[in-house]
Amino acid sequence: MALMRKKNRVGGEIPTSSMADIAFLLLIFFLVTTVFDEEKGLSIVLPEPQETQDVAQKNVLHIVVQADGLVRVKRGESPQETLHKADEIASIWRLAYSENDKLIAAVKTVPEAPYRYMIDVLDQLTEAKATRISLQMLEQ
Amino acid sequence: MMQGGFKRKSKAASEIPSSSLADMAFLLLIFFMVSTTFRKEKKREVEIPDAAATEKLDTPRKDVQHVFVEKGGTVFINDHQVPIDQISGIIGPEYAANQGLIIVIRADEDVQYQWIDAVQKQLAEAGAVRVTFYTNVEQRFSRERR
Repeated sequence: MALMRKKNRVGGEIPTSSMADIAFLLLIFFLVTTVFDEEKGLSIVLPEPQETQDVAQKNVLHIVVQADGLVRVKRGESPQETLHKADEIASIWRLAYSENDKLIAAVKTVPEAPYRYMIDVLDQLTEAKATRISLQMLEQ
Repeated sequence: MMQGGFKRKSKAASEIPSSSLADMAFLLLIFFMVSTTFRKEKKREVEIPDAAATEKLDTPRKDVQHVFVEKGGTVFINDHQVPIDQISGIIGPEYAANQGLIIVIRADEDVQYQWIDAVQKQLAEAGAVRVTFYTNVEQRFSRERR
């Protein structure tokens, strides 16, 4: 009978000594997995649908992005076109803008050209602080 | 002489109190649990183009609407494929509900420009004129490679 009456000596409490370790483990997990998904990119304001502005040809810098990534640049009414690489656009813009501060960059891209070539040109124009940019598709 | 006050040991505890360690850990843990936001949308297979002039946008998440354009010109909005001519029908009401909406176009760098142009026309039709082309910051060495 004495044996039956023996009390169970196992502790009835949850061990709390490893609590800090568990908390730190979870903390490190969240620290590592947290990604601040920030938005970044090249911003532009599209024209309103009805809004079409007539711009004098002399204030337009025509930039045609070809499917091979080369860029044809034509200044306003002048018939002569020059062929450039995309990374020359920034200096072309700065030069043209210094002569005429009403200048608008009209970027026309060939429909089958890859998107990144247009981004290259837009990148150059943004870098050269161009604010008046028009993005169009080249009509054939 | 040698038994002066000099030899008396300092009784101040020399250990950093560690009893509040768990509390600090929990505090930080709760902070990170609350501030972690998991992505709303599934990842898409798009190769983002690089641009040196990439700027960070300080726009709250609720004001951002992603438009994904995959290689073949397929458009995804909120995890659903959308035919190009129906984009304005989806963006229009969203823009009407939130005038501060910014459209972030995450397009593959090899997608043909005609699709991007079609998307832009749809967005302009919906009145959502503030558009950002999502790009990655271009490193100098990758520029010299070209």
